[in-house]
Amino acid sequence: MMRLAAMVLLAVLAALPLAVRPSFPPVTWLATAALVVGGVGVIAWSVPLVTAAGSLVLIAYALALVLAGPAADPLAAIALGSILVLLLALVNFAGRARGAALGASVIASQVRQWLAVVGLGSVAAAVLTAAAAPLGVALRSATLPVVVIAAALGAVLTVAGVIALVAREASGGPMS
Amino acid sequence: MTWRPTALNVSFLTVVGWALFLAVLTGRVELAVVAVPMVFALVAGRRTGAPPRWQIDRTLSTTRLLEDECVTVTVTLRAERPLPLVELLEPLPPRVGLERGSNHAFFTLREGREIRWTFELRGAGRQRLRLDGPHLRLWGPLGLAAAESQHRAPATVAVYPRHAPVRHPPRPLRTQTFVGNYVSPTQGEGIEPGDIRPFAPGDQIRHVNWRATLKLGTLHVTQHHRERNADVVLLLDTLSEVGPDGETVVDVAARGAAALATAYLARKDRVGLIEYGGQPRWVRPGAGRAHLERLLDTLLSASVVFTYVNRDLDLVPPRILPPQALVVALSPLLDRRFVRAATDLAARGFDLIVIAVSPVPAARAAAPRSAVADVAARLWALERRAALDEYRRRGLSVVEWDGTGPLDAALAALGRRWRRRVLAG
Repeated sequence: MMRLAAMVLLAVLAALPLAVRPSFPPVTWLATAALVVGGVGVIAWSVPLVTAAGSLVLIAYALALVLAGPAADPLAAIALGSILVLLLALVNFAGRARGAALGASVIASQVRQWLAVVGLGSVAAAVLTAAAAPLGVALRSATLPVVVIAAALGAVLTVAGVIALVAREASGGPMS
Repeated sequence: MTWRPTALNVSFLTVVGWALFLAVLTGRVELAVVAVPMVFALVAGRRTGAPPRWQIDRTLSTTRLLEDECVTVTVTLRAERPLPLVELLEPLPPRVGLERGSNHAFFTLREGREIRWTFELRGAGRQRLRLDGPHLRLWGPLGLAAAESQHRAPATVAVYPRHAPVRHPPRPLRTQTFVGNYVSPTQGEGIEPGDIRPFAPGDQIRHVNWRATLKLGTLHVTQHHRERNADVVLLLDTLSEVGPDGETVVDVAARGAAALATAYLARKDRVGLIEYGGQPRWVRPGAGRAHLERLLDTLLSASVVFTYVNRDLDLVPPRILPPQALVVALSPLLDRRFVRAATDLAARGFDLIVIAVSPVPAARAAAPRSAVADVAARLWALERRAALDEYRRRGLSVVEWDGTGPLDAALAALGRRWRRRVLAG
């Protein structure tokens, strides 16, 4: 059941770039590659493979956006981010729970929790997008350097966060 | 209990990094928007709420069992504050199988609720099964943070060697002074009728044989044989072993020793044990239920200990190896030192029976099946048969036991020769 749900989420994820720019070979190949890698990840309940599939979908999505050049569609982007969150959380939980006994209402409680987080995240994304639109118009001339500096800062912080997390990870016990 | 970020954070950060990088590269705002729910999830995943509180207890259905029997482990967890997702794991030691349930479980508990988690473990070989206690891991939202703890409740379950009942254990040649089940040639108090003799002052009226009295015309009484017990010493060879873990010849010999100890103790005999190996150990002959458990405990830890020091059975004190005792040796007869020790015992006048535990089935189980292995096994079996015949010619009473069939059937092969010796003795 959990595997079927993960497969459905993965299929929706891979279809999003194709919806932006259908029948363009590089996008199709990237989406297919994401589907294959993600499918293997779901079958093996491997979070790294699903992460790789998510990254491939993002690349395909970016390529489709650049090539098609459509008007900004924040709803599709929020859906993509939310599905990625759900997929990663689901694969992580299913991989941890493989072979284990699941108590009553564990899955229902988890799904409720995930949907709550994703729902709040989507609302936050919508609010930020709505707030950013008038701000962008007001600061149109200053937008590019600010975005570049913020993105560079974000990238540095992301790398620093990854290094800190990897360094703090437990060295492995009976439950790891 | 401290919350720590899990590896899932790395995955989230990787995808967020890709989204931001591509947003900058392409100048498309949608890619930045993709990252927002993920960043929100990363922030929400670190919010773990109030410190969790719970009570946990672990109980075992028994602390002693036989091989292939099961012990039920019950873990009770009571949440004093809500536990959205709790993972429990009882690590299993080697040679322990799960018979029912799972040693790994996930639960969701509301405040004040209690769950009982049970699973059955099966001991797959004689051992002291040690369970340290369940590990507990609390998961934060989305699995982005986790806190671990262990309920330290070390418990040991003794898994004794399994044994089939032995109905006809070899009868000892010599009896001892204590009351037992063997009819002694000497006359005295007992229930087995013996000779008839004329009445003498002091004889009890209940011993008068009225039929003989009427026939012979004078009072005659029936004498009785005394019932005595015997000393039996089990000699376990732990100098060498062959076979897969849990099914070695030492394991098979331990099962045989346990079966014989149970059978002899049921007959009120005193049973002792000598583990003849790199590190000799022994148990003084004794009787009773508590003594059986002492013997089984010793058999539990019988194992091969390699040493260059060669110890002889001469070192064993007479109170451990009484001169009148029946010695039952259980050995694969792979080590010459044991063969020499057994021959010496027989030469010193001990009543000795050697149960030769065949190492061929154990070796076959450990090696992959092939035509060459089949031929080698058959040749080895022939060589062993010739060697056993040679030991018999030297005067040893040897029976072969493959460990799979009943020990009774193997002991029946002792045959008339041993029975004749018993009657002569």
